[in-house]
Amino acid sequence: MTEPRWTPYAVLVAIALLAALPSMTSSNYVVGIAISGLIFLAAAASLNLVYGYAGQLSFAQLGFWGVGGYCAAIAVVDLGQSFWFGIAFAGVVNLLLSAVIGIVITRTTRHAFVVVTLTFALLAGLIARDWVGVTRGPLGIPGLPPPSLMGFVFDTSARFYYIALAFSLIALAFLYVLKTSRIGLILKAVKQNDPLVESQGIAPGPYKLAAFVIASVITGMAGGIYAFNLKVIDPSFLDFYYMQTFLIIVIIGGAGSFWAVVLAGAAMVVLPEALRFSNELRMVIYGVVLVAVMMFMPRGVSGWLEDRRIAALRKALR
Amino acid sequence: MTAILSVADVSKAFSGVHAVQGTSFEVEAGSITGLIGPNGSGKSTTIDCISGFQTLDAGRVLLGERDITGQRPAEIAKAGMIRTFQNVRVYDSYSLLDNLLVAGEAFRDLNWFDALARTPRYRRVRDAAEDRARGLIDLVGLTRLSDAPATVLSYGQKKLLAFAAAMMAKPRLIVLDEPVAGVNPTRVNEVADILRKANATGISFLIVEHNVEFINSLCHKVIVLEQGRKLTEGTPAQIRNDPRVLEAYLGIARPAAAEAEAS
Amino acid sequence: MEVSATYLLQLFMNGLMLGLIYALIAVGLALIFGVLEVINFAHGELLMLGGYAMALTLPLVGLSYWPSLLVAVIATSLVGVVLYEGFLRHIGQKEFERSILTTLGISMILLYGMQYLFTATPMMVDTAYGFDGVEIGSIRITLTRLIAGALSVAAFTGLYCLLKFTQFGRAMRAIAQNREAALMVGIKPRHVARNAVALAAALCGLAGAALVPIQLLHPAMGQAMIFKAFALVVIGGLGNMTGAIVVAIALGMIESWIGGFFSIVWQEGAIFVIMIVAVLLRPDGLFKRGSMRVG
Repeated sequence: MTEPRWTPYAVLVAIALLAALPSMTSSNYVVGIAISGLIFLAAAASLNLVYGYAGQLSFAQLGFWGVGGYCAAIAVVDLGQSFWFGIAFAGVVNLLLSAVIGIVITRTTRHAFVVVTLTFALLAGLIARDWVGVTRGPLGIPGLPPPSLMGFVFDTSARFYYIALAFSLIALAFLYVLKTSRIGLILKAVKQNDPLVESQGIAPGPYKLAAFVIASVITGMAGGIYAFNLKVIDPSFLDFYYMQTFLIIVIIGGAGSFWAVVLAGAAMVVLPEALRFSNELRMVIYGVVLVAVMMFMPRGVSGWLEDRRIAALRKALR
Repeated sequence: MTAILSVADVSKAFSGVHAVQGTSFEVEAGSITGLIGPNGSGKSTTIDCISGFQTLDAGRVLLGERDITGQRPAEIAKAGMIRTFQNVRVYDSYSLLDNLLVAGEAFRDLNWFDALARTPRYRRVRDAAEDRARGLIDLVGLTRLSDAPATVLSYGQKKLLAFAAAMMAKPRLIVLDEPVAGVNPTRVNEVADILRKANATGISFLIVEHNVEFINSLCHKVIVLEQGRKLTEGTPAQIRNDPRVLEAYLGIARPAAAEAEAS
Repeated sequence: MEVSATYLLQLFMNGLMLGLIYALIAVGLALIFGVLEVINFAHGELLMLGGYAMALTLPLVGLSYWPSLLVAVIATSLVGVVLYEGFLRHIGQKEFERSILTTLGISMILLYGMQYLFTATPMMVDTAYGFDGVEIGSIRITLTRLIAGALSVAAFTGLYCLLKFTQFGRAMRAIAQNREAALMVGIKPRHVARNAVALAAALCGLAGAALVPIQLLHPAMGQAMIFKAFALVVIGGLGNMTGAIVVAIALGMIESWIGGFFSIVWQEGAIFVIMIVAVLLRPDGLFKRGSMRVG
């Protein structure tokens, strides 16, 4: 789908508003939600790369999220490194891990892909709980210090917010460039028609692998930042709840559609908070929305809109 | 004349059933060669085998001088042989232009850095590819729809798009699997003209098709398959007058068939 | 540590019991995959619903075991019918991801909905049998455990006969093997699939209800077991029920024995590693259609 011509202006306005948000409110609660929203959005957008673009339903993102969180925490607390090193460390570990996993599983069937990625995510949760020597088991690693940069300490929500904002914008910008490049074009071609891609001289393997790895690195770094937002990491960081949240954002927006997923991310984080639902009720609503979308518009809002557009076009052509 | 494609003793069986057994033939460089045969004679399997979508049980396939036996489809396509599919395949949600861009070889072979950083080289290659794509869309007569998603096309139009995509990769040989099945009969001659024009630029064709008129008007040579074996080959006129071909198509039981084939 | 024969026997019986419960869940998953080619993410929640149905019915019938069990089984099988008619029926065979996301959504609704209604706090549930038990030789087994085990064995026997000897069972196997051919001989896939899902749900409800007097009841109990059940079904061969049962009982044994001697650390992890290896070693074999076997 082509973007409306005003898209760049809308993006600039959105960025300006986001940058001004901490000065517009004194509520730590609002800023806190915005931090979560920005980080979740980056993770969801990278899931969109794997599922929406490459067509692989990966539950492994939850595992990479957790690995990233733990790597960052351990780098700071146990290795005495800075927050920035920790985030980079999270990215590098996820790069290696996802490359190893990806080389093996991008060759399997889609059934096997789902099962193996799901298992990896659960395994990561078990390791967080059981490998007490490294992860400190169920107690987790509390007291993660606030990041600092050249003497400036990001010790309030409003300050930490800018780390989340910067990360999210960089990640989304990168994914946008990827999406609109030849690579994005070919990735979505792979999803639509794998044999045709091969018949045109493009081996799909490297593209699927690249999508998987890039998504894992971004998700891992997002996890690292989120852990420092929470100031503690324990096995609940690998709760299936996070995976469900990322999935919901991608599914509602419409897998494979960049802006729709960004908008859906904003909506799904802000709306339930604005309506002050309890956590359980929010997840029930997520579930209802997920089922409803799957039943009535399986390609999400953007897919539904596109179908309307194509139907209109067909009519016009007749 | 040199051969652009040489198929030698190719065999393929599916759980004991021989779909192709010991078929050999050549496609001469610069020619349009037809591959015909009754349903189940192994045409599709033959194409799958030479394009790498099926692994061979035995035999060799040469593209020009290069041995492509057992290579992956993508490697074979890069080596210069592009195939289309019987059940037409296009990227449904992409515009016709994007359909062709994906297929373009210059675009395909751009490195990742250029693609991500949008270097001048990238833009140059992309613009050139776009020009070429628009030219091909004109050639197959779909100009009006070039920015519409491919899903709105009719079956026949999709066949034309698939052909344009095959051209986009600048191949030496195009293997077309039923290019006019489902195409509006009034447009079959147009398709034949387009193929002739492409052929005049030096591209060789191997065409599987049931439309006998189409094959006769277009092909320099026709190969007839029956039950996974080559029955005969010759000019369209020779094939037309060969009683064995008629019998193969009409399926008349003929005890001597085995001997005739063996000879 | 002095290990007595009694202790070993106790471990064996516990393991067997646990394995049978796992098998009830896994068999249902295998059944649904075989007929519908759907991995049912809401399967664990069916177990949980069976548990809650049992727990809620017990006080109404004066804590008597059997009526409550019956109610739980019927209730969950009805949920299964709704699950099929309302959702799974509308999902095409090639829409594997869609089926996963739909059942995932249903599982979220059920899990968090129950958490909202009943809180996440675990409940102890008592039956008329209380802690009555029987002495077998030197070991003592509570009656509720014994019944749970016996019920599982009875359920498997019933299922085996159903699949092997009845028209419905044959139809189910026919669909699992070759959908097109089954359609041609006049099998109605919708009826068969609905019955298969209802049957799988009933088995799950049975497992949940039988578990309630044995262990704590809480909304996430299904989620804890379902992921293990996925592993079981995959290791045993998706759609292969005998495989699922064998692996499930083996898992119950392993858990019980390891738990009896070592800390449980790594034991669950090992299961998932085995699962990954199993999938990677034979991805096609595991996921091929027509692999539904009953023995």
